[in-house]
Amino acid sequence: MADYAPVDLTAEGQVEFELNGRRVSAPAGTMLVDAAYALGVEVPIFCYEPRLGAPIGACRMCLVEIEGMRGLQTACSTPVQPDMVVRTNSDIAKDGQDGVLEFLLENHPLDCPVCDKGGECPLQDRTFRFGPGRTRFVEAKRHFPKPLDLSSVIALDRERCISCYRCVRFSQDVAEDKALVMQERGAAAEIATLTGDQYEGRFTGNVIDICPVGALTSIPYRFTARPWDVTNTPSICGHDATGTNVELTLREGHVARVTARPEPNYAVEEGWLSDLSRFAYEGNRAPDRLTAPLIRDDGRVKEASLDDAVDAAALVLGRGGRVGILVGPTATVEEGFLAQELARTALGGARIQRLGIPGAGLDAIRSQPRAELGDIDGAGLVVIVGGDPPNQQSIVELRVRKARRRGAAVITVGPRPHALEPVGTAVRSEPGRLAAAIAALDLPEAASTIVLWDEADLAAEPDAAGALARIVGDRGASQIELGADVNGAGLRALGLGAGDVLEAAAAGEIDTLLTIHADPLDGPGAADWGWALGRVRARIAIAAYASAVTDASTVVIPAATHYETDGVYVSMTGRAQRLRPGATAPAGAAPGWELLIALAHRLGAPPPYRSAARAFAAAAAARPALAGLDYDVIGVLGAPVAAVTPVSPNGVNGPREAAGTGLPLVTTTRIFGNAAAHRSEALASVRTGAELVLNPAEGERLGIADGARARLRSPHGECILAVRLAADHPAGAAFATTGVPGAGVERLLPADRGPVNVEIEAP
Amino acid sequence: MNAAAISAHIEPIRHEYAEGRSLILPALKYAQTEKGHLTREDIEAVAEATGFSAAYVESVASFYDRLYLQPTGQRVVSVCVTLSCMLRGSDELMERICDRAGVSHHGGTSEDGMITVQEAQCLGYCDHAPAVQVDAEQTRGPLTLDDADALVDELRTSPRPDELWR
Amino acid sequence: MPIRNVVYRQREAGQVLTDLSDYRRAGGYEALRTALTEMDRDETVYAFVRSGLRGRGGAGFPMGRKASFIPKDSVLPAYVVCNADESEPGTFKDRELMETNPFQLLEGITLAGYAIGAVRGYIYIRGEYEHQARILDAAIAQARTAGFLGQGVAGSGFDFDITLYRGAGAYICGEETALLESLEGKRGQPRLKPPFPAVAGLYASPTLINNVETLSALPAIIEHGADWYASMGTEKSTGTKLFSISGHVMKPGNYEIVLHDTTLRELVYDIAGGFRPGREFAAAWVGGSSVNVLGPESLDTPLDYESMAEAGSSLGSAGCIVMDDSGSIVRATLRLAQFYRHESCGKCTPCREGTLWLERILQRIVDGEGRMEDLELIESLAGRMVGRVLCALADTGVLPVTSAVRRFRDDFVHAIENGGVPRPEPMMEVPVGG
Repeated sequence: MADYAPVDLTAEGQVEFELNGRRVSAPAGTMLVDAAYALGVEVPIFCYEPRLGAPIGACRMCLVEIEGMRGLQTACSTPVQPDMVVRTNSDIAKDGQDGVLEFLLENHPLDCPVCDKGGECPLQDRTFRFGPGRTRFVEAKRHFPKPLDLSSVIALDRERCISCYRCVRFSQDVAEDKALVMQERGAAAEIATLTGDQYEGRFTGNVIDICPVGALTSIPYRFTARPWDVTNTPSICGHDATGTNVELTLREGHVARVTARPEPNYAVEEGWLSDLSRFAYEGNRAPDRLTAPLIRDDGRVKEASLDDAVDAAALVLGRGGRVGILVGPTATVEEGFLAQELARTALGGARIQRLGIPGAGLDAIRSQPRAELGDIDGAGLVVIVGGDPPNQQSIVELRVRKARRRGAAVITVGPRPHALEPVGTAVRSEPGRLAAAIAALDLPEAASTIVLWDEADLAAEPDAAGALARIVGDRGASQIELGADVNGAGLRALGLGAGDVLEAAAAGEIDTLLTIHADPLDGPGAADWGWALGRVRARIAIAAYASAVTDASTVVIPAATHYETDGVYVSMTGRAQRLRPGATAPAGAAPGWELLIALAHRLGAPPPYRSAARAFAAAAAARPALAGLDYDVIGVLGAPVAAVTPVSPNGVNGPREAAGTGLPLVTTTRIFGNAAAHRSEALASVRTGAELVLNPAEGERLGIADGARARLRSPHGECILAVRLAADHPAGAAFATTGVPGAGVERLLPADRGPVNVEIEAP
Repeated sequence: MNAAAISAHIEPIRHEYAEGRSLILPALKYAQTEKGHLTREDIEAVAEATGFSAAYVESVASFYDRLYLQPTGQRVVSVCVTLSCMLRGSDELMERICDRAGVSHHGGTSEDGMITVQEAQCLGYCDHAPAVQVDAEQTRGPLTLDDADALVDELRTSPRPDELWR
Repeated sequence: MPIRNVVYRQREAGQVLTDLSDYRRAGGYEALRTALTEMDRDETVYAFVRSGLRGRGGAGFPMGRKASFIPKDSVLPAYVVCNADESEPGTFKDRELMETNPFQLLEGITLAGYAIGAVRGYIYIRGEYEHQARILDAAIAQARTAGFLGQGVAGSGFDFDITLYRGAGAYICGEETALLESLEGKRGQPRLKPPFPAVAGLYASPTLINNVETLSALPAIIEHGADWYASMGTEKSTGTKLFSISGHVMKPGNYEIVLHDTTLRELVYDIAGGFRPGREFAAAWVGGSSVNVLGPESLDTPLDYESMAEAGSSLGSAGCIVMDDSGSIVRATLRLAQFYRHESCGKCTPCREGTLWLERILQRIVDGEGRMEDLELIESLAGRMVGRVLCALADTGVLPVTSAVRRFRDDFVHAIENGGVPRPEPMMEVPVGG
């Protein structure tokens, strides 16, 4: 259970004491509840939650008897002491626990049969195991008319609340959104937001997970299932590159809910999910989901069976033309490897690339020692270079805030404002001039330094990447890549490059294109891709969602999403972790790895395996970066891929100039402004669109008012956006939101996300 | 009250506290002197002046009996009902004041908006029991039932102070 | 003579001392001068220790020992916090001290600050004492002008100032860690201890917290000597104490008496004028309301810490509420239960839910819905609150309830068997002092 902190019973400095008559030991400083749990003795708790900071001792559930101390003590706030004599199950201790439960149930409605928490409720469980068999309370219970909507995704049932403060502490001390509070006093106290406000933020759903009763429940999940109707599967979030560990709740073949795992991955997300990770699952059944194979013939579209579609695809691919294969950023390691195998065997000579950032200039920084997200907690200095982690790799924000609370210095450098800037010292760099800002950094001494750097920003400025690599090396620091793509690291580990197919297609050297979870016409360089793909004669798409690419493909084979497939993702910190299917793919779809194996069979080059696990094992045997890994080694919590071979930072890392004229374009991203958020009804009230943000001075210079629309044009393409003038954005740059479906900001960019300038005018 | 007025009140005393959070309570009390209670705008102004979230500021305010998040009358009459005053007739006094003010025996605000009557816990004027407090500034006692009528009448007709310290 | 007005100058001088010149004429600030010029810090703390002065807020912890806990080697600044959140039912002695003798408090805080090497003192005054707060505001301004606060106090090298902080209506803020939370701008909820305030108090700095009466006694201790102070009373209950007496007595008020020299009977009858003709003593809550209630058999108990403990109660804040035989112990008990329910901060489950439950049961008994088993239930619930919470509110708040049910069980049984308790005629419209 995440309720108790992990304890290393083999660590140095153990303290010996007596627990329920047993001589035991635990590391000095360990709280008694945690030590007892690790030693097999469960002391019941409600308010204690070590991830929320120091214990508060409010609920009094963990009362135990300690010899020589007056009354009963809370085991959550008592560190183990040498030779202390502790009894958790003596009559007096049991009376304490029983008493607290009796008080908690005094005003609790006991509406378990209609409560969403029923069956997975700590209050219910602990009442059964530690509590009274009956209540002596004959008065009317506290009554509130009906549950409140704390937000569009969280319902608050005040009658069930036991005032444990967990949710309030999460908001105040972990997310630091400061929005959830306790109002009033004594028996009238209740959790609330500022009167009239909703609880909105990037991490709000975590309060549902940590609520030990049914007071805070998920509105999308409310009344959909009972715990005995569902199965839970540990998996990985497929919406950012952090590798956040999640648990998928499966009901009748569908994902009914995403929660943190009961046993969090302390190296990664520590049990905290972003609301995108938690609520995007509704998009798994979005209207643009592909559920039936399609074959286009002379302009006519007809539905087909999976078999027929794979046959048709094999026919087209096998005609002997020059083939290009595009592997999208959400493809698993297995899918990427199987595509490579196709290109090596059946489709010998095919060109293959991943959709992503080539990042040739990033090898030096990537080869510096890696850190895990969990290491941020203990850093003395955290430096964030470029990017916008709260919106792109959200859970990083919580780690950085935690490090700051523990006394770390935080320095941010980058061209765009973001939510972690106020946490520390913020250095605003000029667009395209990160190298200068890095060179000017005056970093304080620190016992340990972790540098977080944005893949896209530094790939666009190789000189900055080199400068940063030197700083990391000189300080003996470690680094974390803020990766742009979900499985970018996994596809790189396979050796997939990111430029070949585009180059060849643009040169007219591709006749047939196979896309696997790849949608180049909606991503960076969309305009350039559009031009290049215009020269391709036939297209085959393996995809989960409809897109401009599938609309123009001869054969469309629906694929399972990451909620529905086995596979491996490698996180941006180099951690290989397993996806496990929490839902069944629609009848007309199949996991990509299965489709690719089938395709290989049809093309006459059958691989010697038929499972995802074996496909991965083959990849691991063939690729040095994956050496030594298999599904068992990866296990539940993942395993690191091999470190990148050291590369000197003094190599080819020259500056790179932006193409075009006008204002430098600084791309921004919003957590709820991407396709996944837009597909999820649960996120409807928080989802955001695209905009062009300018400093008011730039607005005045360009003659563009706040709220007006503007046309942006780069050497690659153009788009039209609503304009917002904001003084907190510096002059000298145009800030435009990427990732928003249909907005087209990606058309302004080159496919490698390199720097561009844009001309801005009224449309 | 706006944030500038609150800042003008708390900035001169900021140096007396090692942490700025300590200014929340003085800011709330001062903000309340304008209307006699705190509106959402007041809470937001205190939040702005102190640098803490409005939700947090409201949470602090809601903990204390003498910070009012609901509208109050021009004057607030607090009738001490704790033991010493009870023995000396506070319940009878409370009822009489409520009757005269035209509110229920649980207290409330008179229809004309002039007077809010509320029960209070021990005011520390047990030697003057039964005692009542008018806002937080004047405390009177012992009161007879006739005094209660006179008090209500007096408050109805006397001018409201410039600042309401409650 | 049971009344000895020797420690608090307004009583000694028989006048209100809100003007600094009056206070100085009455001997004020001589003690501070003596300490600053003739005593070092350790000697000053030692004088407090030797005086035997115990905290006058209710808990009775020896003041000098508390001062000696303040670490000398802390890199953080130390503070003195004066607890002027006087809210204990029946207690109004601090009100008098602040109203009529604010400088003695300021002098006492300054002495304590000098003794522990503090940089600033805070007076946390309850919000309802706005009148007294304004008197203190004016006194602090006068003391600053005269050089008794600020840089180089009274011409010495000691820098010290005092800040007055107004509470906003919450009894729990009289609990020292809740007070600190409130002073830090938070909801006034008690903290987990350890750490204790002496080590990590206000802003996590070493902090000495004492009550108004305690700190106001310090100038007299320095001026007349610790031995003089300790010569009054008993070994463990030294000095004089202000008793607030109220309720059904004819002369409610504050009286300064030497500890142990006076019995409860003398306080009630000789000092406070006894009762209306025909009325008899029924019950007394001697130490404020958070104590065991006493019946007539305890009238001859001497008023000091040990004797009150032996009698099964405690001296507490010495806010003595007295009820004659016209009152109803059942209704009085309900009223106090309502008080604790209203004032529970809500942090600890047993207190938040327990105070509510006890109130509900007592309300039923008063309303005629009581059951005999309720009396055992009260006892059992109280047992599940005491010693299982963060602070003393529930620990001591159940005492007037359980002690009433034990000592006056017949009254409760009568209420249960006879359809409740009608509201008795109050003692109203009787002039103070008879």
